[in-house]
Amino acid sequence: MKITAILVLKCDGSDPIILANETDVSHFGYFQKNPAKEFITFVGRTVAKRTPPSQRQSVEHEEYKVHCYNRNGLCALGFMDDHYPVRSAFSLLNKVLDEYQKSFGESWRTVQADASQPWPYLKEALTKFQDPAEADKLFKIQRDLDETKIILHKTIDSVLARGEKLDSLVEKSSDLSASSQECRWGPPPSVLVGFTSMLCIRSPPID
Amino acid sequence: MYVKSGQSSYRDRTQEFINVTERLKKSVSSSGVQQNVATSSNSGSKFDAQRSAVSIQSEFNKRASKIGYGIHGTSQKLAKLAKLAKRTSVFDDPTVEIQELTTVIKQDITALNSAVVDLQLLCNSQNESGNISSDTTSHSTTVVDNLKNRLMSATKEFKEVLTMRTENLKVHENRRQLFSSSGSKDSASPFVRQRPLAARDGCKCLKPLSSPMGQWVNVIITIISQVCKTILSLILILKKLMDGETSSPSQPLLQQQQQQEQQQQQQMVPLQDSYMQSRAEALQNVESTIHELSNIFQQLATMVSEQGEIAIRIDENMEDTLANVEGAQGQLLKYLNGISSNRWLMIKIFFVLIVFLMIFLFFVA
Repeated sequence: MKITAILVLKCDGSDPIILANETDVSHFGYFQKNPAKEFITFVGRTVAKRTPPSQRQSVEHEEYKVHCYNRNGLCALGFMDDHYPVRSAFSLLNKVLDEYQKSFGESWRTVQADASQPWPYLKEALTKFQDPAEADKLFKIQRDLDETKIILHKTIDSVLARGEKLDSLVEKSSDLSASSQECRWGPPPSVLVGFTSMLCIRSPPID
Repeated sequence: MYVKSGQSSYRDRTQEFINVTERLKKSVSSSGVQQNVATSSNSGSKFDAQRSAVSIQSEFNKRASKIGYGIHGTSQKLAKLAKLAKRTSVFDDPTVEIQELTTVIKQDITALNSAVVDLQLLCNSQNESGNISSDTTSHSTTVVDNLKNRLMSATKEFKEVLTMRTENLKVHENRRQLFSSSGSKDSASPFVRQRPLAARDGCKCLKPLSSPMGQWVNVIITIISQVCKTILSLILILKKLMDGETSSPSQPLLQQQQQQEQQQQQQMVPLQDSYMQSRAEALQNVESTIHELSNIFQQLATMVSEQGEIAIRIDENMEDTLANVEGAQGQLLKYLNGISSNRWLMIKIFFVLIVFLMIFLFFVA
């Protein structure tokens, strides 16, 4: 589940202008890094141009899925692989757009050329959101709930084992109390007489 | 009707009737022929009036018979619907057929209603136009009243069948909720979804526990249930927000755009919907997971409380054993004392025995 690139573009019908770009081309060879970057920007521009405003779009391109969210002329693009859940991708794009608007306000509307300065937020976003749980709260909640459910299943199993042990303990204790009931009144009087007679036979030699 | 009467109290006059009808038919057809030739002749007008009266009458009869037939068919369908509604069970519910039948019967009843109203209008116009005997008017009014009454009884039966069906559905829903708690995801309004959880919370805190551990578990359960409730309410708020979102993006289907854009947008809307649907699905999953979790906690609480009771029993048994063993120890101590102080008793017993031996020897020797 990998994000390869996140882009923010300004698209208003004509050629889109890149406002922020962050790519992770570390897994390509040395000679392929630049071409990969160019490829990403080109595809990003094409897709952004074709996305109507306030619409979401997902395009499959070779082994990447490109998710694009156009909101009032500001477009956010994400290059992800197949396993990244679509919903999380769009919530991530939403977040990026919100953050961009918060930090840059409306100044992006007047930009005419591609922006060259990197945007640090995007960089950390790229690394942070490799795990879809970070981007999508729903995904996170679902995952936490599943883990909790597993833990609870284990708990119930151990509680059942505890119940069995308690059952055996209760049986043993009831046996104990029953047998101690017998010993409570001491030995019967006949046994007493027998004991005394035995001691009589023995005691004269001692005396 | 009176087929089996022993004394036949009727006279079969069908033959006369047939003759009369043939005569009238001939006269009507002949008057029609005359009508084409002479426009304003008295006999022609009289025949015309007669024919119109007859035609009106026959028209009335035709309509009335059609309505009566329709009412009969509707009542038959109603009987079938009643049988279907009665035999609904929890699992084998012929909802589709029942719905179809209800719609068909409703349409029939409305059509019959309008037909009866038309018939009554016709009857009134007939009465006003004069030219016919009072018997006919009374006959037509009684026919119309009869039809109205039958239609009213049919509608009343229909209403009763519908109420019975809704009651059956309610009973089934209650029974279904008793047996399956987490499967109820089909409620449309958020309040229905919150109510089962509230009911469940109500009976969550009911376990009568005596051990402190059990009470502690109970407290935990109440806290967790409250947490679940808050989470669910948050989820519902999120859902409402999402529904608000779905309404806004699915609106832009502008008609003045070019065809290509329109096509694109039509493709977009399903994508938006699928996106929203996937979000809704995820929320529902989360909610069902939370329900399952609450179930698991409930079972856990039950088991722990039972085991608490077992622990109490063990404790009592051990105390009993302790008391018994202490009693046994006391007895043994007494016995020990008895044994340790026995020598003096023994000496006395020996003296008594020797005395007896002496007396015995005296007697024998």
